Amino acid sequence: MNDTAIIVKDVTKSFKVYMDKGAQLKERLLSFRRNRYEKRQVLKGISFTVKKGEAIGLIGRNGCGKSTTLKLLTRIMYPDSGTITMNGRVSSLIELGAGFHPDMSGRENIYTNASIFGLTKKEIDSRIDDIISFSELEKFIDDPVRTYSSGMYMRLAFSVAINVDADILLIDEILAVGDANFQSKCFARLKEIKAQGTTIVIVSHSLGQIEQICDRSIWIYDGLIKAEGVPKEVDLEYLDFMGREMQENTQVSSADMPTEENGRRWGNGHARITKITSYGEDDREKNVFRTGETIRFVIEYSVSKPVEDAIFGIGIFNREGIQCYGTNTRIDRVSEFSLDTSGRAEIVLENVLLLPSEYSFDFAIESGEGIPVDYCRQIYKAEMISNTGDTGISRINHKWSV
Amino acid sequence: MNTIKELYAYRQMIFSLVRKDLRGRYKGSALGFLWTFINPLLQLVVYTVVFSFILKTNIERYYLYLFVALIPWIFFSSSITVGAASVVAQKDLIKKIYFPRMVIPISYVTSCFVNMLLCFIVIFAVILVSGAGFNFAALLTLPVIMAVEYLLALGMALLTSAVTVYFRDLEHILSIISMVWMYMTPIMYDKSIVPERLMPIFNLNPMTHIISCYRDVLYYKNMPDLLSLVSATALGVFFLIFGGIVFNKLQRRFAEEL
Repeated sequence: MNDTAIIVKDVTKSFKVYMDKGAQLKERLLSFRRNRYEKRQVLKGISFTVKKGEAIGLIGRNGCGKSTTLKLLTRIMYPDSGTITMNGRVSSLIELGAGFHPDMSGRENIYTNASIFGLTKKEIDSRIDDIISFSELEKFIDDPVRTYSSGMYMRLAFSVAINVDADILLIDEILAVGDANFQSKCFARLKEIKAQGTTIVIVSHSLGQIEQICDRSIWIYDGLIKAEGVPKEVDLEYLDFMGREMQENTQVSSADMPTEENGRRWGNGHARITKITSYGEDDREKNVFRTGETIRFVIEYSVSKPVEDAIFGIGIFNREGIQCYGTNTRIDRVSEFSLDTSGRAEIVLENVLLLPSEYSFDFAIESGEGIPVDYCRQIYKAEMISNTGDTGISRINHKWSV
Repeated sequence: MNTIKELYAYRQMIFSLVRKDLRGRYKGSALGFLWTFINPLLQLVVYTVVFSFILKTNIERYYLYLFVALIPWIFFSSSITVGAASVVAQKDLIKKIYFPRMVIPISYVTSCFVNMLLCFIVIFAVILVSGAGFNFAALLTLPVIMAVEYLLALGMALLTSAVTVYFRDLEHILSIISMVWMYMTPIMYDKSIVPERLMPIFNLNPMTHIISCYRDVLYYKNMPDLLSLVSATALGVFFLIFGGIVFNKLQRRFAEEL
């Protein structure tokens, strides 16, 4: 009993989704007992325990109930049935900067924000130097927070939350804070906290982060625990599943397709790219890949007027919009060809060493000396994941000798 | 019991919210914090003009008679009307982070309370200027009266703020209720003119007792009537416990309803 930090037992939770909620007296009276709502059961009976000092990751697609689970753990919400026992002080990195007041200085906001975590003035006094130095905002700490950039704001907020010294730390989609330097610092701090024996629960889409920190992954699917175990194994299982069953959901939705109207597509239109699909090493269609994996893209196109001396091109951009790689058939000296009828082309990217991020892809058909036929910006999205902690844009194969 | 322990652990949060509220309240207005004093003073002027020159009363130093009752009343009524909206107003915080939800109405009522204390500076100034004088022994009971009123206001604020989350009209209904309640409490008139058969209702109204205690001490310069004080305390404690229980029950679904 004493070495468990969290016990979740048979927890269910459903939400009422009102068709048309009348919160006013008039509406309540007029539609008395006729409030139409649908009950949506988000959690259908979840049980797990977390030992002290253990770090677990909750994974699953959007709407599977993982964020709800986290909210129940923080006690923002309460379960309909079942019990949750938490042993120790809980801090959450769910909503950073809760209660920040733009007109107050960074220092005053530290006090307000930390007090929301339940710290007393004395406790804050003893931590304030750590918090300020962690945030690297020494020079600005007495300026009003409204003068901060959003990056500085998040840094301050994160510094408070991570210095609460909780027994149990709950984290939702973090480490998108600040620049790469600060991110790796946060990550290092998290590992340090874990080493001190803090129990950690992380909800994340970034399997790479989970694999680096967590001892165990819990995969929640449709309100139930589908698999549980060593992150690397569960994550693989999850990815396979995602690749098989959920590609429709994870692909660029048609609303986000590049069109002439949204300015992300141009060219004379003699040939048009109709569809992009990507495959992993096992020839399975998917768009989440591991760093180092081989990716095959199939470009389907239709031709309305033959294109002489055609060129296919690809561009890869990371989340920050930095081009990570780009090439085309001309650069690669593919012998001249023309497009006469609709068909498909392929490009195999071997051993892709791009580091974890979401990548967007441009695909283009050009002709002659680069006359755009159909240029599509951000026509495809894919994610890279990895379980090593190296940082940057792309891995460089390397060897240490010490 | 657990709730109290937890609230004690979050005392710093209550303190910060009160400070934030007091500092933020008149932010950007030219007179700033002075509004704390101007507002009740202007109300006093209006009522005094109406009751001394138009509806002539025969109460001596009517402005003082009214003022010592009006300031505590403003504290009470703003606690329940604006306090009712306090939880809804902090929905961003409630939906995103855990803390004992009672912190919000408590800090709101506390900041209204601090405001009342500041207004008491004006009351004492008015008493001094008018030459009415003080009964220092009786003044010692003032903190007790204030504490009882605080408990009562807090109980009501807990009740109204929790119910408002589920039923938003309450906020508007309460402004009417508070107006009716004000006239049902002997603030502008004396308890002695209340018809005998209505007295039971007035006696059930905890504010009747509290206002009469304030008046005993500050206007009549007497010790407060013990029976009034005990009744007020009993009613105050009752409302606090009742409000606390209702709040605790309702707060479980706050995050979903907001």
